[in-house]
Amino acid sequence: MKHCDKCNITIETKQQYCPLCHQVLSGTGDADKMETYPDYVSPRRMILPTTKKVIMFVSILSILILIVINWAGFDGRYWSLIPIGGILYFWLLVRIGVFSRRNIGFRFASLTVLLIAFMILIDFEGESTVHGWSIDYMMPLLLMTCNLAISTTIWIRLLDYRDYFLYLLVIIVFSIAPIVLVFTKVVTVTWPSIASFGVAIAILLFIVFFFPKSIKEEFKKRFHA
Amino acid sequence: MSVKTTDWFRLDNSGKIFPEVSNQRETNTFRVQVALTEEVDPDILQMATLGILDRYPMFKVRMKHGFFWNYLDYNTKPFQIQKMSHEVCSALNPRENNCYLFKVLYRNNLIAIEMFHSLADGGGVVMLLQSLVYEYLKLKGYDVSPDNIIKTKYERPVEEEYEDANSKYYNAKNRKHVPEQRAYRIKGTMLPDNLTGLISGTMNTNEILELVRSKELTMTEYFAGLMMHVIYNTQIRYRTHLKGNQAPVKIFVPVNLRKHFPSETLRNFSNFVKTNMVMSRDDITLEELFDHAKQEFKNGMTKEELIRKMSENVAFEKNVFLRFMPYFIKRYALKIGYNMLGMKLNTMSLTNIGKVVFPKSMEPYIFDVTAAVYSGKYNTVNCAILSYRDKLKISFSRSILETNMEREFFRHFTDKGIDVSIESNFVEEFV
Ligand SMILES: [Zn+2]
Repeated sequence: MKHCDKCNITIETKQQYCPLCHQVLSGTGDADKMETYPDYVSPRRMILPTTKKVIMFVSILSILILIVINWAGFDGRYWSLIPIGGILYFWLLVRIGVFSRRNIGFRFASLTVLLIAFMILIDFEGESTVHGWSIDYMMPLLLMTCNLAISTTIWIRLLDYRDYFLYLLVIIVFSIAPIVLVFTKVVTVTWPSIASFGVAIAILLFIVFFFPKSIKEEFKKRFHA
Repeated sequence: MSVKTTDWFRLDNSGKIFPEVSNQRETNTFRVQVALTEEVDPDILQMATLGILDRYPMFKVRMKHGFFWNYLDYNTKPFQIQKMSHEVCSALNPRENNCYLFKVLYRNNLIAIEMFHSLADGGGVVMLLQSLVYEYLKLKGYDVSPDNIIKTKYERPVEEEYEDANSKYYNAKNRKHVPEQRAYRIKGTMLPDNLTGLISGTMNTNEILELVRSKELTMTEYFAGLMMHVIYNTQIRYRTHLKGNQAPVKIFVPVNLRKHFPSETLRNFSNFVKTNMVMSRDDITLEELFDHAKQEFKNGMTKEELIRKMSENVAFEKNVFLRFMPYFIKRYALKIGYNMLGMKLNTMSLTNIGKVVFPKSMEPYIFDVTAAVYSGKYNTVNCAILSYRDKLKISFSRSILETNMEREFFRHFTDKGIDVSIESNFVEEFV
């Protein structure tokens, strides 16, 4: 035991000074005794933030330049939205797809919705005179892919299937959009929309028949007030 | 009905606020730690922890976002114990621990649990730690018995352990909101990197009991009065004219409501009493502060007042506008509400966990028990007290470099000839 003559306390430590008054301790410590609390380990400094800053700076700068060029020579078209959308999509893809800790259902669902939005943007703001391919083909097929992707994930990771339900239901609800567009005659090619809707309904029926309790439970959790 | 490990739980009244007001500096975590008389075997501790988690479904959870409120959903991922690092009551990193809201730490002969306050209060964690140490010793092959003190993994969890007792005992008619003034803040040099300093002093329980009884005070009253005196002497005295020193010094003392209401809950069920005094005078004496503390406890501990404080919080949460506000808006409302009711209204917190009792058969294996509360930006120094057998352990955690308060506090006892032995994590070595 060591002793602080000023504070009149005893302490077992390898340090030379009193933690209370910072004066030198007298006496000798027990050489075999371990320190009560661990030594400091310097936290690993991540390299990522600097890289992130550089990419962020370049992205924002490019967005500004694009807006300025588009504005200066404005010809009635907001063409800069496409590369800007591309930059933002890239950002979100990295953020949600790679670095997010959220569950995979959320990542699938949000990336699909974003990709659809980006495709629609290219379709209607692009130079091509042929419009409509984004809602004719891309939207229903992407929704269908997403539906199948989440369902497969649930199938493989049966253990925590309830975590993904919510996102699956959201995407199923979204799959109604193409069929609405079919009825309002906005969509000219109908088979992808119908196929996508069919798949969504099939998956929904499967859940309703085989996991009715889980859905109810999940709803209760998510919406309790 | 018994509770299954696949259940989900609503957050209790106090638990709802913490997720929104916690960050790397204001972590809202606390630690209870046992020192064994022998080195801890991590493999056996891991086994013991897994066994115990099935007994306590309440802790086998992670936080999830709902549309109106967050909630606790059962966690299917495995729990992993960790080697104790230099961090004390640091923020819980979801990536590090499969989203569990507590940690089990070990080092040499120490076993510690660090808990996020949303999940439980000190009382609940002591119970969890008791069970864990029991299970650990059992797996080590020692002849220990639970003696009705320890909840073992063989009994089934019951609903009462998970009740939100605040909502049960609150009274909508007795919920007057009493506006409060912002409290004095203990000043010092902030430690970098969210580091926390930890200094504990061990004294003899009976010696201290004798001392406080000679003043006709309870232990908590004595410590609260002394703490005010220490703050006064180290921070305010001789500088009473400064503007910042006109704010009242308020010591926040949690009250374990399980002792006042018939509840067995493991979740948050505590309230508080506060000392409250503007110390801008040059002649405040310790005796005067003891009287003040005694008076505040007398007023604050009446059933009427305890229910009022409880209901004030519950009423805020049960407010219809707030309840049906989507969570992404509600979180801001909670933050504002907390700023009115919360942190800045306290100078420091002084938690007396009280007597921790282990069965006779376990006592030979347990050297001592320690508790610690996080310290942050507003409460820069906090104090936690508990006793185990004849050891009274007082632990100061701090987010500032200075140790004047600890020094003056313990010198008060050594000046009276009471032996104090100190432990420190020597945080000054870290910077
Ligand atoms: Zn000293």
